[in-house]
Amino acid sequence: MAYAPMAEKLRRGETVLLDGAIGTEILRRNVTWADHQLASKPAFVRGIHEDYIRAGADVISTNSFQLCRRALENHFRDEAHRRHIGARDLDDRANRLLAASVHLACEARDRASAGRPVAVAAAITTLEWCFRPDLAPSPAQARQEYREILAVVKQAGADLVLLETVNSIGEARVGLEVAKSLGLPCWVSFVCDEHGVLFTGETLEQAAAALEPLGVDALLVNCAPPADITAGMNQLARCAGVPIGGYAHIGRFDPPEWMFTDEFPPARYAAVAAGWKQIGAHILGGCCGTTPDHIAALAALR
Amino acid sequence: MRDTEGPHHPYSQLRQQIRAGRPVLLDGAMGTELVRRGVRWRKHGLLTDSSAVCQLHADYLAAGAQILRTNTFQLNPRIYLNVFRNREHMRHIGVPGLEQMASNLLRRSVEVAREACRNTGQQEPVAVAGVLSPLEHCFRPDLAPPPQVARREQEALARIFAEEKVDLLLLESMNTVAEARATIEAGRAAGLPVWASFVLGPEGELLSREPLEKAVREAEQAGAEAVLVNCAPPQDISRAVERLVRYTKLPVGAFAHIGRFSPPSWKFEFFPQFTDTEEWPPERYLAEARRWREAGAVVLGGCCGTSPAHIAALHHGLAGAAKGAR
Repeated sequence: MAYAPMAEKLRRGETVLLDGAIGTEILRRNVTWADHQLASKPAFVRGIHEDYIRAGADVISTNSFQLCRRALENHFRDEAHRRHIGARDLDDRANRLLAASVHLACEARDRASAGRPVAVAAAITTLEWCFRPDLAPSPAQARQEYREILAVVKQAGADLVLLETVNSIGEARVGLEVAKSLGLPCWVSFVCDEHGVLFTGETLEQAAAALEPLGVDALLVNCAPPADITAGMNQLARCAGVPIGGYAHIGRFDPPEWMFTDEFPPARYAAVAAGWKQIGAHILGGCCGTTPDHIAALAALR
Repeated sequence: MRDTEGPHHPYSQLRQQIRAGRPVLLDGAMGTELVRRGVRWRKHGLLTDSSAVCQLHADYLAAGAQILRTNTFQLNPRIYLNVFRNREHMRHIGVPGLEQMASNLLRRSVEVAREACRNTGQQEPVAVAGVLSPLEHCFRPDLAPPPQVARREQEALARIFAEEKVDLLLLESMNTVAEARATIEAGRAAGLPVWASFVLGPEGELLSREPLEKAVREAEQAGAEAVLVNCAPPQDISRAVERLVRYTKLPVGAFAHIGRFSPPSWKFEFFPQFTDTEEWPPERYLAEARRWREAGAVVLGGCCGTSPAHIAALHHGLAGAAKGAR
């Protein structure tokens, strides 16, 4: 079980290094992100994972942001419409790509870890758009969908589940419960605002109180600018009884792509992350806009 | 008198042509063809790949199209706002200028289409149609905003097209009667002629399941000057055209999609990608389009998946089509 060394590091109070962005890194390398490139450019995606491992990441996350059946089905009126005009592989495309995302990360580990323990985290985001908690499906519907998604990533060989950019305690609870029922370790990372508050208005204190009894293995904050992640980290440090961490985005969201800025070069990003470590973070990584160089700079903090 | 009403204006000439019983040729797909040509889909290609957009317009002109449609399908401020928590969040983490992005791209789309007309040194007049579409996803009538909201937002877009002096508005893939009606009224308020085209569901009615007949009647009442159907497979379009001509005396038109919609695995915005388009080579598309013409359609073109070769096939194959083009 590749997660055990990570659990052990956290128990000893060591820092576990997450990887950096994959979606925006694909764009930065001048490739379109449409379809995640999992089917069309697998070696390219695997190469990014390998670069993060070589930069020092202990946990690499799959290239599966928002990848699920719902994401594809949302583009049609209903099933009748999808069958009438949709591509013929849509019944199983999402699950096939999800499994491929795990396989590519595992292959990258085999090729680049050089015997060092590296865990593969299935990166699973909210079922609906990560910044829009108002769109979230009902808990019963969500449970059914998380069961399908997490069974696929478990079968494909993921070592843990990273529920990331989660926008509500309700959806976090469902995802976590399903992960635990499958025997998968599970980290939950919330997107927060500049006050360290969830987009629903719920607090991280409420999140910790809800998720810790269910066995969450770590609590994190991600996909907000560095200062906002600091605010979230301060909240987590006050209330969490499990390891905490965070990973900020740098640059600007330029839908459907990302604008890279020079505001947070690796050294400056690492300096901010050193502050998170001082607050009490033991899991550090990078979200949108970060690169293998940013992770290498974090590795130097250990 | 506005210059759009003069006898030599491209739109007046199109009307005369239709009155004389000669079909008018639309262009074919923009988005799917740009993606097929390898354009990275961002901002509708209008900022980073405007030369490719311009070239595709030019290719449609060379194929015989008399109306160029702006590359603005599903382009409105909502596509950017929808991927943020709210406006404040957009300002907090979004790239500067997103609030004006859609209107800037709309203006740019008209410039690029006009540039294509100039570059080809075209003698005959070509009309540029500003494309409006449902404010939310074209295949999700359940997400349509209330009519008064649609009216306000669509009118803002229509006024931009009016300022940029498009010759007409083409409302594409309208998926509910209420939003179509609101958008036609918005276009009329902006002072532009409006053609309204509806997307069909698998049942052959509007995608919303509202009757096509109701859509046509309301479009006519709201002031549409032509009624069309689009973004359904060619045989579905054939059946719909036979009905449209019974429902209205207005000019009727059609443009079908070919192949299968292959949605993106991201959630950001509409991403135009159709697969299996080789099942409908130009000759087969022409054979189906002949049925539309025989049923009485006078405006013909291509929707998602079609290419300049499909429009060229219509140009050469439809008797009396697009005489003005080369």
